[in-house]
Amino acid sequence: MNPPVLEALAVTKSYRLGRREIPVLRGVDLAIAQGERVALLGASGAGKSTLLHVLGLLDAPTSGSVRFDGRPVHALPVAERARLRHRHTGFVFQFYHLIPELTALQNVLLAGMMATSTLAWWRGRRAARAAAEALLVQVGLQDRLHHRPAELSGGERQRVAIARALLADPKVVLADEPTGNLDSATAAGVVELMFSIQQQRRLAFLLVTHNEELARRCDRIVRMQDGVVVG
Amino acid sequence: MYRLFLAVRYLLTRPINLLGMLGILLSVWALVLVVSIFSGFLVEIERHVRSASADVSVHRLPAWASGKALEQALRDDPNVRDVAPRLVHYGMLGRPGDRPQPPPLLGRTALHGGDQPFLLVLGVDAAAEAAVTGFAGWLRAPSIPPDLRVADPTAPLAAADGTPRVLVGLERMQREGLRRGDRVLLTTGRLQGDGDGQKGLQQISLELQVAGAFKTHHGGFDGNNVFVDREVLRQALFPDRPDAVQEIAVRLHDESTLSATTDRLQRLVVRALDRGDDLARGHVQGWRDKNGQFLRSVEHQRGLLKIVLVVIMVTAAFLMLATLSMMVTEKTADIGILTAMGATPLGVLQVFLACGLTITAAGVGLGLSAGTLTSVYLEEIRRFVLWATGVDLFPLQVYNLDRVPCALEPLWLLQVAAMAFATGAVVSAWPAWRAARHDPLVSLRGT
Ligand SMILES: Nc1ncnc2c1ncn2[C@@H]1O[C@H](COP(=O)(O)OP(=O)(O)OP(=O)(O)O)[C@@H](O)[C@H]1O
Ligand SMILES: [Mg+2]
Repeated sequence: MNPPVLEALAVTKSYRLGRREIPVLRGVDLAIAQGERVALLGASGAGKSTLLHVLGLLDAPTSGSVRFDGRPVHALPVAERARLRHRHTGFVFQFYHLIPELTALQNVLLAGMMATSTLAWWRGRRAARAAAEALLVQVGLQDRLHHRPAELSGGERQRVAIARALLADPKVVLADEPTGNLDSATAAGVVELMFSIQQQRRLAFLLVTHNEELARRCDRIVRMQDGVVVG
Repeated sequence: MYRLFLAVRYLLTRPINLLGMLGILLSVWALVLVVSIFSGFLVEIERHVRSASADVSVHRLPAWASGKALEQALRDDPNVRDVAPRLVHYGMLGRPGDRPQPPPLLGRTALHGGDQPFLLVLGVDAAAEAAVTGFAGWLRAPSIPPDLRVADPTAPLAAADGTPRVLVGLERMQREGLRRGDRVLLTTGRLQGDGDGQKGLQQISLELQVAGAFKTHHGGFDGNNVFVDREVLRQALFPDRPDAVQEIAVRLHDESTLSATTDRLQRLVVRALDRGDDLARGHVQGWRDKNGQFLRSVEHQRGLLKIVLVVIMVTAAFLMLATLSMMVTEKTADIGILTAMGATPLGVLQVFLACGLTITAAGVGLGLSAGTLTSVYLEEIRRFVLWATGVDLFPLQVYNLDRVPCALEPLWLLQVAAMAFATGAVVSAWPAWRAARHDPLVSLRGT
C-alpha cells in the first residue's frame, strides 16, 4: 500500500449558531493514498461536503489535523494554504462553478493564472494555452473552446470543470457529487472520463456521491453518518 | 495575473461600468478645463494690471514731504531706473452745466468699473510719466479711433489757448460721447485749515479741455482715472507748496528683484521722511501688492470653483461605488471557486480593487486628454460654436481679451489625477473589502 497523500486525523468541526455549537464532524479519520479512488457515501447532512472542504483546506477543522504528504497543513497561514490548494488539489463541484464571463478555454486557463505574476504569465502564455487546449481536447471539448458556460450543456460544463481541476497537475482531486446534477447517460460519460484520468494520472481521488453503484467502482467505500465514519 | 485578467473581463462584460468611468472622465475634464481658463484669465488679468502699473509706487506721503528730496533719495538706489512724481486726487468730471450721473449699483464696477462718476485725478508730468510707465504707449493704442487720439502725443497735457488739458480713458470717452477739444468741468474739493486749526471743505472747479483718449489693457484703470498736468493740479490744490507730491511712481532696472527692492526702498523712504520721532512715514508697494486685492479676488473665485468641481468628482465617484457594489454582489458566486483554485481573500480584494482602479485610470486618462485638448483648442472651439450656433460662449470684449485665455498648469493636472485616483481608490476599496470578507464556502454550498 502506498503511503497516504491526504489524511484526516481525528478531525472535528462544529459550527456556531448563535450560542449553540452544532457538531458536524465528530472525529473523522480518513487517509487517501496516491492512485487510490475513495467513495464517500452518507445521508444528506452527514457532513460529507464539510469533510471535503476541510480536506481541501477550504475550511479549518475545529480540532484534529489534516496532513498532506505526512505534513500537518491545516494550521498553515492563509497564503500558504491557498498555494497548496492551487498546486496540489483539484476541485470538482456539483454546480460546476464556471465563471460565466469567461469562455471554456479561459475558465481552464484561469486556474493556471492563480499563482503566476502577470509578467511570468505573459512569458509562458503559449505553453499555458497549449496545455489548457490539450486538456479540453482530452475531456472531449475540442469544438467548444470558445463557448461561454451559458452556451454549454451540463455535461459539457462539468467537463470544463474537470479540465480546470487538472490544469495545475494536482496530486489530489476532490469531487463533491460531480454527477449530482446530470442525467444518468451524461453522468456515465463524465464518470468514465474522471475514472480514466484518475487512473492515468494516479490521482488520489475522493468522490462524494449518493450513488451506490458508482461507489462500488471505487477502490474503497467510506460511509459517514452524523459526522462520523461508520465503515 | 488572475486579478487583472478577471478585473478586465468583469468590466468588459458590464457596460454599466462605463457610467462610473464617464463620471470620472467628465469631472476630470471639467476640473482641467475650467481651472485652465481661470488660470489663463488670471495670467491675462495680471498682464493687464501690470500694463497699467508702475513697477513700484511710493504713497501715503505726509503733506510736508518734499518731492525733489524724495525723488533724489530714490534715484540713489542702484535698481531704480526712473521716478515720476504724481498728485493723486479725486473728483467728478462732466460737461459744464450737466449734473453728474447717479452712481451705479454696488458690485457692477467690481471687475472693470469706469461707469461711476467719481474718478481719480492723476496729476503727472507727461515726460517723467512716459519714462516710468507705458504712458506714451497708452496714447497710441491701436484701438483708439483716429478722431479720439491725442494730437501731439509728445506733449499731451500742454495747455491749449490757456485751458489745461485732460486725458480720459477710451471707454469713458466713447460712453459719454466726449470728443477731442470738448470742454469739461472737473469738480473736486480740498480740506483747508483756518486760523484755529479747524478744517473746512473748499470746492474747486477746474475747466479742462479733452486732449484725447488713453487706453491700457486694464479696463478698471482706464475707467477710473483721468490725467491732468501735475502743475495744474498742484496750483489748484496746494497753491502755497510748489514741491507738493502725493505719490511717486518708480521704474526699476531689474524687475525680478521686485520684493527685495521694495523692502529696500521702504527703508529708504522711512529714513528720508524721519523727523526724529520714530514714526514710519510713506508706504512703498510693488505693483502686484498694490493690485493684490483685485488679483486675489479672481484667485479666490478660482479656488471656489475648484471646490465645487471636486465635490462633483466625489459625486461621480459615488456612481462608480454603486456600479461596483452591484458587480460585487453579483460576483460573490465566483468567490468560492476562486478560493478553491488558490485565491486568498487579499487576492479577491485585489480583483475588485483592480476593477475600480481600472475604471478610474481610464476615466482619468480620457478626462485629462479631453481637458487638455479642449483647453488648447478652446479659441477654435469658441469660434466654431459661434459660427455653427451663433452663441458666443465667452464674450471676449467684456474682459478686454482677444482670445479665450487658457493656462494649463502641469502641477494642477497632476493634482487632479492624484485626487481622482484617491477618490477612485477609496470608492473601490469598500466593495472590494466586502468581496474579501465574503465566505467562499457560502458560494460553494449554494446553487
Ligand atoms: N455554515 C454552517 N453553519 C451551520 N451549519 C452548517 C454550516 N454548513 C453546514 N452546516 C451543517 O452541517 C451539516 C453537514 O452539512 P454538509 O453539507 O457537510 O452535509 P452533506 O453530507 O454534504 O449533505 P448533502 O449530501 O446534502 O450535500 C448540515 O446539517 C448543515 O446544516
Ligand atoms: Mg454535500
